[in-house]
Amino acid sequence: MSDETKPCCSSGNGEPTATRSTAPMWIIVVTLVLLFTGGLFLDSHSGWFDKNVYAPYQSSAQLESFQPKSGAQAVLARGKSIYESVCGICHGSDGLGKPGQAPPLAGSEWVMAKGVKRLLHIPLAGVAGAIQVGGKDWNMNMAAMGAALSDDDLAAVLTYVRSSWGNKAGVVTGDDVKSVRAEIGKSPQPMSGDQMMKMPE
Amino acid sequence: MKTGFSVFVAAFVAFGASWLGLVYGPLKQLGVAKETTVLQLGDKWPVQRTGAATLGLQVYRGNGCAACHTEQVHQTGAANVISITDLGSHKSSDLKDFITSLMVVPELMNCSNAITGNLAGWNGELPKVLYCGAQDTVVSLLGDKLKAVGVKTEPRVIATGTDIARGWGTRQSVAADYLYDSPVQLGNLRAGPDLATIGIRAPDLNWQLQHLYAPRSVVKDSTMPAFRYLFTVQKIGTLPAPDALVLPKDFAPADGYEVVPTPAAKELAAYLVSLKNNAPLYEAPFTPITAAK
Amino acid sequence: MNPTENKTICSSEIDVSCRVPLLALFGGAALWLVLGLALGIAAMLSFHKPDMFADCPVLNYGHAQAAANDLLLYGFVIPAALGVILWIFARLSQSPLALPIVPVVAANLWHVGVLVGTISILLGYSTGHPWLEYPRGASVLLFTAFLLVAVSAVATMGFRLNRELYPSHWFLFAALLWFVWSYGTANLFLVCNHPPRGVVQAVIDWWLTNNLLFVWLALAGVGIAFYFLPKIAGKPLASSGYALFGFFTLVFFGAWVGIPSGAPVPAWLPTVSAFAALLSIIPVFALGIIARKTVWGANVTCFGGPFCFIRFGMLSFVAANLLYLGEFCPRASRVLDFTWFNVGVTQWQLLGFAGMILCGAIYEILPRVMNKELPFTKLAKLNFFLFAGGTLLFVIPLLIGGVEQGMKLRDAAVPFADASAVALKFLRISTTGQLLVLLGALCLLLNILVMTIQWKLGLVKCVIAAVTAPLKTSEVKS
Repeated sequence: MSDETKPCCSSGNGEPTATRSTAPMWIIVVTLVLLFTGGLFLDSHSGWFDKNVYAPYQSSAQLESFQPKSGAQAVLARGKSIYESVCGICHGSDGLGKPGQAPPLAGSEWVMAKGVKRLLHIPLAGVAGAIQVGGKDWNMNMAAMGAALSDDDLAAVLTYVRSSWGNKAGVVTGDDVKSVRAEIGKSPQPMSGDQMMKMPE
Repeated sequence: MKTGFSVFVAAFVAFGASWLGLVYGPLKQLGVAKETTVLQLGDKWPVQRTGAATLGLQVYRGNGCAACHTEQVHQTGAANVISITDLGSHKSSDLKDFITSLMVVPELMNCSNAITGNLAGWNGELPKVLYCGAQDTVVSLLGDKLKAVGVKTEPRVIATGTDIARGWGTRQSVAADYLYDSPVQLGNLRAGPDLATIGIRAPDLNWQLQHLYAPRSVVKDSTMPAFRYLFTVQKIGTLPAPDALVLPKDFAPADGYEVVPTPAAKELAAYLVSLKNNAPLYEAPFTPITAAK
Repeated sequence: MNPTENKTICSSEIDVSCRVPLLALFGGAALWLVLGLALGIAAMLSFHKPDMFADCPVLNYGHAQAAANDLLLYGFVIPAALGVILWIFARLSQSPLALPIVPVVAANLWHVGVLVGTISILLGYSTGHPWLEYPRGASVLLFTAFLLVAVSAVATMGFRLNRELYPSHWFLFAALLWFVWSYGTANLFLVCNHPPRGVVQAVIDWWLTNNLLFVWLALAGVGIAFYFLPKIAGKPLASSGYALFGFFTLVFFGAWVGIPSGAPVPAWLPTVSAFAALLSIIPVFALGIIARKTVWGANVTCFGGPFCFIRFGMLSFVAANLLYLGEFCPRASRVLDFTWFNVGVTQWQLLGFAGMILCGAIYEILPRVMNKELPFTKLAKLNFFLFAGGTLLFVIPLLIGGVEQGMKLRDAAVPFADASAVALKFLRISTTGQLLVLLGALCLLLNILVMTIQWKLGLVKCVIAAVTAPLKTSEVKS
């Protein structure tokens, strides 16, 4: 270092140099791992660049689910979530049913009927024997899947079914469910389509 | 890298990417923002400030208030809850027992800790919020069971977080709140409390002026400096000035003198009183307590 | 030592060519450092005795703290760094400084800009954007001055005999480019024109703050350290490939950090910043490791000399920047947001990292450039201990106090006044640290001032001798 202040230059210019080796492998591996981890974080927390999604909401779907709902919307939302866990497994979340498993609910005349009593019989008592839906015959048995639901819950599910997938029919209230339940009594018998057609709508 | 040009290119690309992502991107997404509407009411948001309040923002900026105060509320979560609005014919103590007994229902078992916590110390004030951190169905099941015994409830969405719990706001601050602010004074140190909703917590102009003149006269252990230079101490004329401050004895000026705010002080107070970031928006939803049904 | 190139230019000639620009830059920088620290102490007095400046708007916290922060960054760090960059480029190019009059003019413009800006803030005309408080006139002066210095520096780099670039070249060249771009953009959008509506103003401000306090300081500080450490250790820099990796990761990831978690902006912005902060840990470690490897095993000791400064600076680089990046982790930010922690980290970056490295560099460069020993070498050594001890005493209580304040703020049951009050005792210790740093800064100022006066006196003597009898010229030392 003392060479620097001498008036003129001896050998070596005293400027620093660098060795030519490369970065060690471990740090490159760590960088890649962090890139991957960070990428996962970015995926889950960025709301995919939506201008309405602010942390702590993680997606626009989640933000939508926290919007305060009016009464009718709340019923539909509730009906939908119960439908999907109870009915949708067989009838499909698109209401189209599955051949050999369950008939479609979309466009079904049973669903769209003006009165709700006949319709309520199905989840509350079940179906045994043949039933005709949309011109096709279905000969599967259905258990009383709605019997365990509360009045309001079943009403919400049926309201949802009656207003989804193109269906346009009126709401089902908790009172409707209550009265049909009372009529059916404690040990409801599953009926076939023909038997149910004999009941009032 | 061997040449100056290659260094330049590398640096240019890296910095250009950052410029595109953090300057150009937000300018395109946020810089062209327009007014939005309040949820369910449809009123315009944000509310335009009065003239005095707009000038007050410049007083706030010039005095460096943002060095100690923030104007942004944070929330760390949101929850669907039910709010008990009418006890029906029950007493709160009976209702507490009833609700506790409901916690054995399979769907509600996970909630028993949260709801027992909500109910601790409740002596019947309404509305009473019960929540269990999440789902619509769980909470509405509880609502149905209460409805079945004659208790009125309504579903609500609330924001959760420390700032909310401190009463500093009902939901987090979002970009729409700052549309008319220039410059935006978000702040980054809370030596003093957050001011995003100070206009709701302290809406009285006189309180604001008194707090500016002598903070320790209204907030006991405040570390805020007094801003006496925003006021004039003048001799009382034939009549006291109409906007003279009413101060407690320890902070009042000498006999025969009064403290009058300068226009800057009044503008600042008007600005502070205009800070009311509390309306529910699509991006920051919550159910206000007096929501229209 | 290295094989010589075709050298016809002596180091001392290079040094002399840098003399006037560097004195202009360093002298002003030292003065602003002292003033900035003094204003910072005045600002903190408002916390120890709240009514102290109740009748004096100029020195209240809002004004004094903003002015102090800007004086530290724009008054001290940037001009000092520019001076060091000019000298390093000249030395690495083995050619005298290109266009030497340009940096002298620029230095004067810069200092006028800082003066105008500081007075504006103290009188209440700040722009209201943190770290960008200088109003339009001052910021235009600063931008122009920087551009002029950059032109001279790049020209010097262009004249280099050895066409291969040394790692310091990459860092310092990128620093020159980046300040011009980021400072220019931020001022264009926020200060010079009608600003964009709403919270995007804060986004641009956060972007600039990060790019100055993290990226720019890192580029300049590490570039300077990578020049001096190999010289001091007498060994080559540990690895140019490693340094290249560090450079690329710093510029690609570091520039995206800055948007705080929980901010009132759409979620993608803080998330991108958090992602970038996680990745920016890599260059911080890599560059620190390179520095360590370069001096490891070399026979260097520090007795308060320049090596002490630079070593402390590099340690602070790693520590302060890790804490800085940690603030962007969403969980950490819930405790650390809006507390004194962020203030402590920023001051550690400014004083502990940049300030120390620059001070060490100045003490290395000045004797060479003036061709004369430092007038007060003991004060220069004392300077190190005052800076080191003072910075730690300044910063560490702020960090601890910030964490305590944050823990209390997080608990809604704790009244706000208690959360605030818990930091006060830490602030008292912290202000003592600031005083020590101020004393250290006075040592630096004294050294530079006396050197300048001695040089000017020497010039005057030369002039007098030339004017009087020719016989006297040989007796006069110039």
